[in-house]
Amino acid sequence: MADAETEAALGEQPEEPRAGGRVQSVVAGAIPVLLGAVAAWLSFGLNIGSLTEPGPGLWPLIVAGLLVASGIGIIAVTAKTRRDTEAFTRGTIAVLAAAGGLAVYASLYEIVGFEVPTVLLLFAWLRFLSRESWLMSAILAVAVTAVAYALFIIGLNVPLPHLIAF
Amino acid sequence: MDFSSVLSGFAVAFEWQNILFCLLGVTVGMLIGVLPGLGPAATIAILLPITYNLEPTAAVIMLAGIFYGAQYGGTITSVLLRLPGEASTVVTALDGHALARRGQAGPALGIAAIASFIGGTASIILLSFIAPALAGVALAFGPAEYTVLALIGIFLVGTLGNGSIIKSAAAASAGLLLAVVGLDPLLGTPRFTFGTDQLADGIDFTIVAMGLFGVGEILYNLEHRDRPQTAVPSFGRAIPGRLHWLQSRLAILRGSVTGFVLGILPGGGATMASLVAYAVEKRSAKDPSRFGKGAIEGVAGPESANNAAATSSFIPLLTLGIPANATMAVLFGALMLQGITPGPGLMSDHPDVFWGVVNSMYLGNLLLLVLSIPLIGLFVRMLKVRPGVLAPITIVITMIGTYSIRNNAFDMLLVIGLGLLGYGMRKLGFEPGPFVLAFVLGSLLEASFRRSMRIFGGDVSEFVQRPVSGTLVAILVLTVVVVPLLRKVRTRQTANAEEEGVRAD
Repeated sequence: MADAETEAALGEQPEEPRAGGRVQSVVAGAIPVLLGAVAAWLSFGLNIGSLTEPGPGLWPLIVAGLLVASGIGIIAVTAKTRRDTEAFTRGTIAVLAAAGGLAVYASLYEIVGFEVPTVLLLFAWLRFLSRESWLMSAILAVAVTAVAYALFIIGLNVPLPHLIAF
Repeated sequence: MDFSSVLSGFAVAFEWQNILFCLLGVTVGMLIGVLPGLGPAATIAILLPITYNLEPTAAVIMLAGIFYGAQYGGTITSVLLRLPGEASTVVTALDGHALARRGQAGPALGIAAIASFIGGTASIILLSFIAPALAGVALAFGPAEYTVLALIGIFLVGTLGNGSIIKSAAAASAGLLLAVVGLDPLLGTPRFTFGTDQLADGIDFTIVAMGLFGVGEILYNLEHRDRPQTAVPSFGRAIPGRLHWLQSRLAILRGSVTGFVLGILPGGGATMASLVAYAVEKRSAKDPSRFGKGAIEGVAGPESANNAAATSSFIPLLTLGIPANATMAVLFGALMLQGITPGPGLMSDHPDVFWGVVNSMYLGNLLLLVLSIPLIGLFVRMLKVRPGVLAPITIVITMIGTYSIRNNAFDMLLVIGLGLLGYGMRKLGFEPGPFVLAFVLGSLLEASFRRSMRIFGGDVSEFVQRPVSGTLVAILVLTVVVVPLLRKVRTRQTANAEEEGVRAD
């Protein structure tokens, strides 16, 4: 919820994220243009039809046009102002690591059940991303997994793949 | 208005299990309002899979409780710490925190709770009268009207947010594009599925909401995790005196009306309402210089306004099927999951759901008032829980919830990918709100557009020539002119607030 207004009211809060540079502003516009171009190309592969008898490709083509137009607009307008993006920081690495860890977690789910990956994910996140102590991380990881097991598998009967059965 | 269904709605709202879910909802709402980080949209998105097994009324009562409960909770940290838990309580921080510094945190919180209660309740009463009339009008709407209505909804949410208009347009277009994935709604041709069966049914709305709002917000907060902890000032009982009440009662009245009106407008919502109410109070005060230094009206006005707006923003969703803001988009998804299509037919097809949910809000507001006065101390203690501990727990709940939708690990990867997309969008200055809203409305918009084009024989100008859709087009054009003006006013307001915020220190 940290937006311009929050920062306005916070006043003295020094940690306002640094604005990104001109390159980042241009990238913010280039991505919609690229996405729109790809979507338009895929739409032509479907049947476009006509305005009277629209085919499956007409609507995606219109949307692709909107994307390209707004992307060009972004490059034209915000490349000058340069204030509405946030610079990537060292913390970005943590974000990517977290996403990578989650992807591994998701892939292990159906192979070894939910218990072991959940303990490992919680422990790694608490210890390395949140910088809790080793002991605290270990206790929390096991405890939260146990509570999740009790709540979702025993309590709510969610059919999660699991090793331990009662 | 059909009084018998209103009354039977009370009977539904006061079934013991619905009371329980209402209590659960408002408590969770208050908690996430106190904790900075996760907003109501993200919380509701994360809890969506859990509501699958609930009865529709109970599910929506709980989720709605989270939404308006968060408005109460956000106030607490605004007043005590000057750290607004929600965007809609930012302006409360100005005078609320000034009062707290003078040792009057208790009365400030008490007035805030009472103002919230009155604003919320007044808004429910008005909703009960206006919603049936609006739904009656909307029953006559055809595909052409829905096309224009959906466009108005997307446009307003995009432009009344905080980001730049053109970026919101791009985000909304991307949301529309994602909604195309799956089978063609009219002909059944697979589109953008890249040959996999996993995408043939399209992407579930829950996945998009959980990814962009839930995982996206957690990843975004991960980058800025070194925030220092702030000490919580001590405060007495949250009970205002007679003088505070006399000073703020007119402000509460004005705030309730302002909030109700602005809440109905798509995209208006609670944040806008609280800012406008603050401006109104300052303008109508005899001595405007007191504002920013601890004027109780500066707490009462915005607090009644943001709750009134939170309640009235249900009107477009429940009567037209057009969500007015990001949280309503998630509730739209929740209703669809239960097999209930929000729209003009809701009131006649599912009167128990409609009136049950609306009337449960009286109870919810009462519960919040009762909870907030004696229990504020308890909620404040929640601030001591470190965000670093909450984040991985929230992620695990999100992942389990995602898997349970289709018992499918592919969906988990999709949520993670969409989470990264949400993070990237925030970094590049795109708001996820318009994206999710456009995704929700995408298939309605496409199907209505294509049906209208068939009816009109390909003539786009028919949209303007038919009386009802023509009127809606006029409204759309009007908003395109008015909204930039409103934004200008708000920017100035925020700038003023900023100036005063610095001076007050």
